[in-house]
Amino acid sequence: MSERVSVPIEMVQSWRYSSGDSMERFSNGIRHKRIEAVKCGNCQRRYLPPRPVCGNCHLSLTEWVPVSDVGTLEAWTVVYLPFLDGRTGELRDGPYGMGLIRLDGSDTTLNHFLNQNDPAKLAVGMRMRIVWRDELHGAMDDILHFEEVS
Amino acid sequence: MRTIRIAGVGETGPVQQDRRSIPEMVLGAVDLALADAQIGHGEIDSVVTASVDLFDGLTASNIAVTEVVGAVMKPEARIAGDGLAATVHGACQIWAHAYDTVLVVAHAKTSMAANGKLTQWAMDPIHLQPLGVNFSAAAGLQANVLAQHDRHAEKRWARLSCERRAAGTSGMAKKLSQSEILASEITTSPLRNGMCAPLGDGACAVVLQAGSNAGGPVLSGVGHDLEAHGLGDRNLVHWAGLTRAFDRACRVANLPPADARFDLAEPSCFYPHEEELFLRATGIDGGTVISPDGGLMAGCVPVVAGMSRLVAAFKWLRQTGNAGKRALVHGHWGPAGQAQAVAIVDGGL
Repeated sequence: MSERVSVPIEMVQSWRYSSGDSMERFSNGIRHKRIEAVKCGNCQRRYLPPRPVCGNCHLSLTEWVPVSDVGTLEAWTVVYLPFLDGRTGELRDGPYGMGLIRLDGSDTTLNHFLNQNDPAKLAVGMRMRIVWRDELHGAMDDILHFEEVS
Repeated sequence: MRTIRIAGVGETGPVQQDRRSIPEMVLGAVDLALADAQIGHGEIDSVVTASVDLFDGLTASNIAVTEVVGAVMKPEARIAGDGLAATVHGACQIWAHAYDTVLVVAHAKTSMAANGKLTQWAMDPIHLQPLGVNFSAAAGLQANVLAQHDRHAEKRWARLSCERRAAGTSGMAKKLSQSEILASEITTSPLRNGMCAPLGDGACAVVLQAGSNAGGPVLSGVGHDLEAHGLGDRNLVHWAGLTRAFDRACRVANLPPADARFDLAEPSCFYPHEEELFLRATGIDGGTVISPDGGLMAGCVPVVAGMSRLVAAFKWLRQTGNAGKRALVHGHWGPAGQAQAVAIVDGGL
């Protein structure tokens, strides 16, 4: 039987997403190391990252509340698989720590990198703080990673 | 409410790599289902397909299969999710008296591209894509929360993966011992390579038909549900969406959710901790046979996964001695089980 013909397709394409009003305010805040969540006037849930509507109540979220740069690790994993960084186009190798951190003042968690990739040194309930990049430009990766509060 | 008979099923795979084109592979499943139902293309009133553009490498990925599913000059709807969700939509078309005979088809070929890289692009583009979060990372976060206060979890999951792999007949899943699984490479801790369902290529097709239960298994109830996309919005240790989908399906089938009993359960588990989430969310107990063919751990095609469980349940109910029994079928898609679908299948008379 003859070999099947396979057709390789490569596509290089970039997208520019509008962040929206709520993420724009959030982005402007983190440029100044200020974290804000949006609060639902009905269920009182404070959302981070901010979004236009409360998913539970389907009400517009317009009330902003301050959130600490310190919080609690609610979930973690150590990723051993490399991933393509969409912002730089470069491959980031594992292992790296990844966590869900509930910052004080928020009811939902923020997904981000951890500076720790040793499973023996990670545990749910650990207190973590944001480590900022030296240069801030108003994007999620202004947060370099989270580290344990010593 | 009309009785929906599962008139016929067909499937190709799962195989590690199907060398055929997508239309050829899909046609294989469609031809088998039509032959099983003993009908021709002309008797199909409507078609519902399930596929995901990212996996197929083209937008509106159903355009590649329009002819082979027999959808030219017919109503076709396409679901960008698991095939079991497409089955839910097909059933609703019949219950709404819109059509009498609906062909439901799901397909995917993971051999075409790196699946892990693709699922990163299924995440929120502002917050999560730049962090490289994909379905594997989401599963690791979820499993780790479950394992936090359960020091036996990893061994238990390794044993379950070992048993499911051993039961498989597709040839895709390497038979591994519990200790080999525990020694396999970590993907996203605490999950290891041996605990991940091996991904491959395949297509499934099911013919749904208004009729009676005299001719074989019937679809008695369906339900589906969507949770928030963000992992941080959810309680990861409980598949609340599955509980809601299950309750809806039970209501449709006139079963009390708390007391519903099933002879067979066919959960969609890409990782062993998901089977525990499934049992918690549905209340299935020890009296139910679970995935006798190894389930997805024996070989898995995303998008087709839940529908392959429907086909497995259908075949089990058609076996001698199983007529009149009841099966619960499950499918999920999205990061850490964001979207859930359930079908209740009763064996025919």
